[in-house]
Amino acid sequence: MSQLTPQRNNVVIESLTQIGNCGLFLLTLLAAIPRSARYVRETIRQLWFVGAMSLTIIMVCGLFVGMVLMLQLYHVLSIFGGTSASGMVVALSVYRELGPVVTALLFAGRAGTAVTAEIGLMRATDQISAMEMMAVDPIAYVGTPRFLAGLIAMPLLCCVFCAMAIFGGHLVGVTWLGIDNGTFWSNMTAQVDVRTDIINGVLLKSLAFGAVVALIAVFQGFTTPPTSEGVAYATTRTVVASSIAILALDFVLTAFLM
Amino acid sequence: MTEPVRINPDDDILVRIRGLTTVLGGKTIFDALDMDIPRGSVTSIMGPSGTGKTTLLKHITGQMRGDAGTVQVNGQNVAGLSREQLYKLREGIGYLFQNSALLTDFDVFENVAFPLRQHTSLPEPLIRNLVLMKLQAVGLRGAAPLMPNELSGGMARRVALARAIVFDPQLILYDEPFVGLDPVALNQVMKLIRTLNQTLGITSVVVSHELAAVQQIADHVMLLSNGKVVAQGDPKTIADDGSPWTRQFFGGEADGPIPFRYPAGDYAAELGFAGAGK
Repeated sequence: MSQLTPQRNNVVIESLTQIGNCGLFLLTLLAAIPRSARYVRETIRQLWFVGAMSLTIIMVCGLFVGMVLMLQLYHVLSIFGGTSASGMVVALSVYRELGPVVTALLFAGRAGTAVTAEIGLMRATDQISAMEMMAVDPIAYVGTPRFLAGLIAMPLLCCVFCAMAIFGGHLVGVTWLGIDNGTFWSNMTAQVDVRTDIINGVLLKSLAFGAVVALIAVFQGFTTPPTSEGVAYATTRTVVASSIAILALDFVLTAFLM
Repeated sequence: MTEPVRINPDDDILVRIRGLTTVLGGKTIFDALDMDIPRGSVTSIMGPSGTGKTTLLKHITGQMRGDAGTVQVNGQNVAGLSREQLYKLREGIGYLFQNSALLTDFDVFENVAFPLRQHTSLPEPLIRNLVLMKLQAVGLRGAAPLMPNELSGGMARRVALARAIVFDPQLILYDEPFVGLDPVALNQVMKLIRTLNQTLGITSVVVSHELAAVQQIADHVMLLSNGKVVAQGDPKTIADDGSPWTRQFFGGEADGPIPFRYPAGDYAAELGFAGAGK
């Protein structure tokens, strides 16, 4: 049996400690929700920042994902004469997997890093300490609104992503490749189940991914060393940790929800 | 339920520190430090860089806790307060940060109004007037709509000062308030600190290296070194008290009881001279 070297041992212990601390930080954020109720305006401001400001990238990426998916499926399904099912397969792929996962990965890259960098810089410039000195709880004022904004924004962005992907699929399949418009929509509506595909696939997964990305982003911001190098590392860690967490959580959720 | 803050106006000492010992990263910052800050006075804490002056302010405000000893503010042991009690105490303390620490999302007006909006439900016209009065006091009423990134270092410090005094606190902690100020602003800030003390009876703790400024505004000076108060007294005479600490610090000498050089190995050996250290 192979043994872990002390160096690897340290990395494992460090990683587990980080996960444990992140879990405790989640409890702190949740406990601060009643206190942050008075900062509704700040939550709405953050919702605009992480949600509305991410719309462009989500819409453009959704459109191209749907287009390329339809293109690939059409060529594969044409071998078996099943091109009429292309729309349905695009919809199921997007609703169940691609929509929530790609949206979450984009969300981590666009909004997660911005949140980490912002909080990290607030720490580096003593703004967080200043809030504490003004008897304003930084977790309730800075942390929880950003966490809640991520939680609310992700399902909404995922819905937009899915709609754009279906639109992209329709654009390529119906307008370009000549699939019948009625067949495209009827196959899709016949096979897509609201509970399995929309509620479990789109909403539940994106809610879970939103919570994970927002938690990691806020946690990294609050725990990064308050230096420019620390902030740079923290933003990188946000993307890496979020990406791994999204894909791992996707497997777990899929296994439970199928 | 949060217990009310205990006020003990009969006690002449607002901040009482006893046996404070703090070790950070293996280095002893405070070594059984004792210190009293009288109510209604302007007390200046001086000392070489890295001696723990800012750290001391953080202990007074409960941002840091020592390994041993007590810090009492207004008769309350800061380390023993709950979060709610600590926040209640901080509502009565103004703090001027070394780097201003203005909130970059807000303009100058909103930065100064921030504590009022968070802790009071005053009507907007009253908040506006209070903020403009404080900005007028630091000479920046006209800068109210500017964002922090549009201010010079000295202006940012004056805005931070306006924010620190907006609540008329009973204790104000100034961390290097004179750095980066031009002579006019320096003079006005010194006057403001003195006026706040004289008219409102606010207790002020000023951490500074500027002896000339300190001599004009402070009632009492403490010199901090090696984790202890090594000299204290009247600002006009402390530089001439003859002790080796004050002689070295105010004389600007490298050698003396206040360590100038960070501990290091043998210089010649490190430079690689043959036979060094034999």
